[in-house]
Amino acid sequence: MPPFKDEQIIVIAPGSETTVAQLGLPESFTPARLRVRSRMFPAEKPGEWEPYKIRRRNDKPEQPGDGAESRPDGDEAIYEEDRVSEEGAVWPMKEGRIVDWSCFFALITHVYNALNPPFHTPILLIAQPVWTPKEHEKLTQFFFEKFKTPAFGLMDAAMATSWAYGVHTSTIVDVGKDKVDVTAISEFIPHLQGRVMALAGCGGEALTEGLLAKLRSKSWSRDMCEQLKKSPICEILPPDTPLPGTTEASEEQPITNPAAAASTGASASGPAAASAIGNGPRGPGVDTDVGDDANADDEGVLDVASIVTGGKMEEYLAKKEKEKQEKANAKKKGGADTAAAANANKPIRLPNAKRERATFLYEDHRLLDNLKNMNLGSERLAEMQNQLDEGPQRQGEIVNGEPTSAVDANGASDTGNGSNQSGPIRRELEVGTERFMAASNGMLERIADAVHRTISSVDEVNKRSELWDSLIICGNGSRVRGFKEALLATIQAKYLISPSSATMFTSEIPSNISTPAGTGANTPQPQLGPHGGAPSHVNPLLYAATTAQTQHLMPHNPTSHLPGLSHNAHSSHSQTPTSIKLVKPPEYFPEWKDVGFDESAFLGAQVAAKVIFVVDQGQSKGYMTRPDYNDQGPTGIHDYAL
Amino acid sequence: MNNLNSSATPAAGEYAGDEVSAIVLDPGYSSVRAGFAGEDVPKSVCPSWYGQIDSDSGPQYLFGENAIYRPAPNLQIKNYWGADGVVEDWDTAAKLWEYAITSRLTGTRASDPSKNGLNDDPKENGNGEAMDVNMETIENQEKPLEESPLLMTEPGWNPTKAREKAIEIAMEEWGTPAFYLQKTGVLAAFASGKASGIIIDVGASHTSVTPVLDGMVLKKGVQKSPLAGNFVSNQIRLGFKRSQPEIPLTPHYLVKSKTQVDAGSPAQAVYRTFDTPPTDSFRYYQEERVLTEYKESVVEVWPGPGRLSNGTNEEIAKSMPGRPFEMPDGWNQVFGVDRFKAAEGLFDANAALTDDANPRPKDEHTLPRLVQAAVQHVDADQRPILLQNIVVTGASTLLYKFGDRLNYEINNIYPSTRNKLIAPGPVVERKYAAWIGGSILASLGSFHQLWISKKEYEEQGANIVEKRCR
Repeated sequence: MPPFKDEQIIVIAPGSETTVAQLGLPESFTPARLRVRSRMFPAEKPGEWEPYKIRRRNDKPEQPGDGAESRPDGDEAIYEEDRVSEEGAVWPMKEGRIVDWSCFFALITHVYNALNPPFHTPILLIAQPVWTPKEHEKLTQFFFEKFKTPAFGLMDAAMATSWAYGVHTSTIVDVGKDKVDVTAISEFIPHLQGRVMALAGCGGEALTEGLLAKLRSKSWSRDMCEQLKKSPICEILPPDTPLPGTTEASEEQPITNPAAAASTGASASGPAAASAIGNGPRGPGVDTDVGDDANADDEGVLDVASIVTGGKMEEYLAKKEKEKQEKANAKKKGGADTAAAANANKPIRLPNAKRERATFLYEDHRLLDNLKNMNLGSERLAEMQNQLDEGPQRQGEIVNGEPTSAVDANGASDTGNGSNQSGPIRRELEVGTERFMAASNGMLERIADAVHRTISSVDEVNKRSELWDSLIICGNGSRVRGFKEALLATIQAKYLISPSSATMFTSEIPSNISTPAGTGANTPQPQLGPHGGAPSHVNPLLYAATTAQTQHLMPHNPTSHLPGLSHNAHSSHSQTPTSIKLVKPPEYFPEWKDVGFDESAFLGAQVAAKVIFVVDQGQSKGYMTRPDYNDQGPTGIHDYAL
Repeated sequence: MNNLNSSATPAAGEYAGDEVSAIVLDPGYSSVRAGFAGEDVPKSVCPSWYGQIDSDSGPQYLFGENAIYRPAPNLQIKNYWGADGVVEDWDTAAKLWEYAITSRLTGTRASDPSKNGLNDDPKENGNGEAMDVNMETIENQEKPLEESPLLMTEPGWNPTKAREKAIEIAMEEWGTPAFYLQKTGVLAAFASGKASGIIIDVGASHTSVTPVLDGMVLKKGVQKSPLAGNFVSNQIRLGFKRSQPEIPLTPHYLVKSKTQVDAGSPAQAVYRTFDTPPTDSFRYYQEERVLTEYKESVVEVWPGPGRLSNGTNEEIAKSMPGRPFEMPDGWNQVFGVDRFKAAEGLFDANAALTDDANPRPKDEHTLPRLVQAAVQHVDADQRPILLQNIVVTGASTLLYKFGDRLNYEINNIYPSTRNKLIAPGPVVERKYAAWIGGSILASLGSFHQLWISKKEYEEQGANIVEKRCR
């Protein structure tokens, strides 16, 4: 009998931005049920932490000249949990590293309590690549001593991803909040030496920064940029795609990388040409129209929060009302021009990449915070909120009508707790082509370089081409539209090796290389393989053309006991990569299909948890049990970690 | 994965499982290897090259791959090793080693105020909790290695001064409770399970040949030569320059996207532009990366018999099919006999390409002569034992057919003895042999009496390392 049951297992995946967890493995693996923002608030007592901001609540508006002391309930301050606000939050993880241990432990405890598990629950923790062995020990100690867990396992995030995809050899590019990890995994063994860990300034945060850098001059706040990034109108275009509305867009772009185009079909120029066509019909009328909108827009972006605190609330609301009226009038007149860029209900829809301007709904948390801090009564607060809220009563639906993903909801699934009171105030914001420039700070090139470095440092040279052929881009930082495609195009433009014209035609294809040795297809699979994916083969023609025929030479090793020499020594291989491909996500997880595989590490962890805790009954030493811990102490974890 | 290989697993009684795991540090010219004793590969491999940005407030040092591969204005790439194979810049060396240990083994200490997150928000420091954390990290900061004994490796020719400096850093800067220094040659032999043998270590900056008898280095027999990986790189560079037309060497960072061109045609790539172009040293380092790829996929050692220049060998080499190589900017060509010439200088000084900056290497620096010189320092009756255990290590020995050629050369010098090359197949064992040997040694129970404890160091001073680590 397996030592544990499916429904007892806890999987926790901490991240710099969001920590996800789940109790129990369902029949068909689902995205994590519990999502928590990875932050805690310092409690009143130092060293203690609260999961939500605690705010003093006032039921009545303060009367001018009539202080709090005179109120009957002055002493009995009522505290309430503010579940939306993030003022003063402490984020225990930065770039994947745990920087504040006491806060981190409090966060894990909060997650654990939120799951409310029974006693006999094994825990599998997804470890960030940057965590050092010493930190693994610290975590092991914490889990065993705090939760008295009967079994504990640590699994590397990159490993988990490869389990999710069911591939034994792959290159995992995990785009996180502030960092990118690139890990080469061959035959389920991560290659630790050349792994690029926590490449700073390349994650989702950098994208926000990139937007902010472009939009700061238009007095956009950081929060606005963050939400813009999460909205579907923000997109990263493949390199050298002209932005809509620019003069280049109308010119035909030369094919920049026929090599990429030839071997993979992903041409760098495709979208460019397409957008050039799409941009053509838009006449000069649009320009004038855009000008108008920009005016209105500038007002909209104004810092409403400070207006409100500045006491000019009424004025602002009045003006807002007037604007709304005007807009409505304009619409009634059938002015399709006005609505062109600003509204989604325009009959003819251009793809986002071809529109110069687009709008999205912005949830103004700061405004809400300010309102709350003004100590208005709850009724008044709700009233003001309703007045300021521009969003239609359809939370989550965004301009293009695309479904918001779980992450877009921002882990704020707990915000919908009943009344409108704590719901965010939404305003409509419009943005121009800046929305395509999130990654213009060279981030894609740096990730591409990291991938090249990682794969080049893999000692088993014959594995490299397979590693190039099985890239996995995951992590919530890569969720931005077009990110994966743009990254792949960048890598291909820089690193793809074209078949050399010199050998392609002059050399014959040697008969003995019909099956490239490098794919590992013949290597025995480790028993643990969850669902071994078919390794992608190198095109033998390409291989032949780029390898030339050293295999013709008589392999005469100096000594008979060097069987591995010819296999591993350099030069028995060709330059890589001759092709670069993304791995297809697995198709048999319907629940994951809808939300995307960006959090596939969690899926992999579920697969792994099922295997190590249930299926193989602990034979593979995938986890440490309490008796083990009692015998060996925290250092023993290294013998068990996956 | 954490088990040692079968040849090295210590018996249960010997194994010091209850001991705190020691850290093994194996600094080399190209990379620094660090990891816990008892493991089979070093967990932390960090380039020995570091970045330095000079500013008014003093130089800023950047360690680790992520930092030094990113083009930045005024970023200089340097190495702390001197030209003679001895650490030159001790201050930076200590910092870099510490980075290698803390970044991936023991956890980062809160030394860098911009990164530790404590200074992000002044409000956070206002409350008591953050202060407590501060205190804790400051304690850590003082003693990064307080819990782990440290076994360090050194080259066979390390002078007394350098050895004393090493123990000083370990004891005083890192606060390690115990320390030991061992020569790379001995450790590489241990990694192959040998107590005696000749260790041929072809690294990045130096090639060394070390005779080891019963776990002791015969110090007078240690040979070193600058003909190693970097020498091969320079030969390739020279070859590129000599070629007609000159072969352009454009590193990756300059290229934005490349276009396929015919072999030998000029590259048509889209280049990146920089406001402030990165420094020459940065470019040089990036060029090395391309050369490494070239060495891996094109360079071949003439396998023998005879030298490349002998008789018709060069003709035979010419008739062999060439290997194509594509530069980062798309330029590509098939390399024929040229690819044999790059490494020929390791074996045959006459064959080396030379110019003003690269004088002809000395004959006694070629590999066959080094082996010969090393063997000569050994008693005649011990020589057959050594020649039966020729351990080949160092990443540059991974050059294609290197083993074949070495085998030929040694048999050529010593035709009457039974010569046996021991070249581990797995690449990690070749590249990290000294570290692996250190890992085995430090996890042996019987080794524990050899540690120099902190107390002994305090009593006897740094010179203890001369007495105890032979």
